[in-house]
Amino acid sequence: MKALNSFLTKLGRGVGNVVGTLYQSGREAIDQVIVNILPFMAFIALVIGIILKTGVGDWIANALAPLAGNIWGLIIISIICAIPVLSPLLGPGAVIAQVVGTLIGSTLIASGSMSAHLALPALFAINPQVGCDFIPVGLALGEAEPETVEVGVPAILFSRLITGPVAVILAWLASFGLYPGY
Amino acid sequence: MDFLVRLAEGFIGLFQQGGEVFVSLVTGIVPLLIILLTFVNALIALIGTERIDRVGEWAARPGLVYYPVRYILLPFLSVFFLTNPMAYTMGRFLPERYKPAFYDAAVSYVHPPTGIFPHINPGELFVWLGISAGITALGLSVVPLAVRYLLIGLVVIFIRGIVTEILTSRMWSSVHTDAEGA
Repeated sequence: MKALNSFLTKLGRGVGNVVGTLYQSGREAIDQVIVNILPFMAFIALVIGIILKTGVGDWIANALAPLAGNIWGLIIISIICAIPVLSPLLGPGAVIAQVVGTLIGSTLIASGSMSAHLALPALFAINPQVGCDFIPVGLALGEAEPETVEVGVPAILFSRLITGPVAVILAWLASFGLYPGY
Repeated sequence: MDFLVRLAEGFIGLFQQGGEVFVSLVTGIVPLLIILLTFVNALIALIGTERIDRVGEWAARPGLVYYPVRYILLPFLSVFFLTNPMAYTMGRFLPERYKPAFYDAAVSYVHPPTGIFPHINPGELFVWLGISAGITALGLSVVPLAVRYLLIGLVVIFIRGIVTEILTSRMWSSVHTDAEGA
């Protein structure tokens, strides 16, 4: 009887633990959606709405097409975004990357004026500046010494100038065979 | 008067279009996102984030064999379990000279997996969603693109880690000789 009781207690505790974790996870998920995801969706929806309705979209697509519509243009975009003085300015909140990504996706790719497989290199071309605004904080989170930060900031910024375009080229090579016919 | 009415209609039209985009984003993406976030949050809570600390200690060792651990495995596990921005705290296990390179690799991996694991960076989903929206508009599946984005991301952060480590060590020695000369 005792053994059964202790088994039941353990079982009850275990089930309670799992259910509690799942419920807490659901609560966190809803929080993340309300705090982080929905506000940005509202912002992007406004941008896309204006682009679609005013016809600015065609204008942007025409302006971007020579730059973003082919691999050379994408490499140039990645080099511009990786310039050490610009990259920390373009970084915060990834807002620039998200807006440019939306412009490329919902105008150039959606209209077919950019082949679909170029979406892969484009994902890297718009984002070589990722985290460049956050280097001192990120290093501090890793408990780095001030001397490390002093060296690390320029090291990362200059590294991006090399690895930004390299990433685009790699992604381009990996994009062959993706979405054939589009 | 007619002119004013048309102007007002155009003005409201901008936001009606935006509202339609918002509804399609919310009904198309948010339900899947909530369930997926719940699942991954529960998974992380059940596994326990303290377990990846051991990988951090492992990655600190010198030698060529540990490069993939330091700049692929550790960044991947850090962003998956700790997410942006707490992932960068894993740098504390590494010697100072590896910290900038680890930060570079980890921060560069907060977007590539978001097509499949949006919990990593729910506030910056539109780097991925913006571009992939174009693929959706063409009536194609975004999954092949998401998988390649995730995989090429690993190659890119590996290269980024190595390049930044080399640049850091070069700048480190020049800064230190300067300090000794002064």
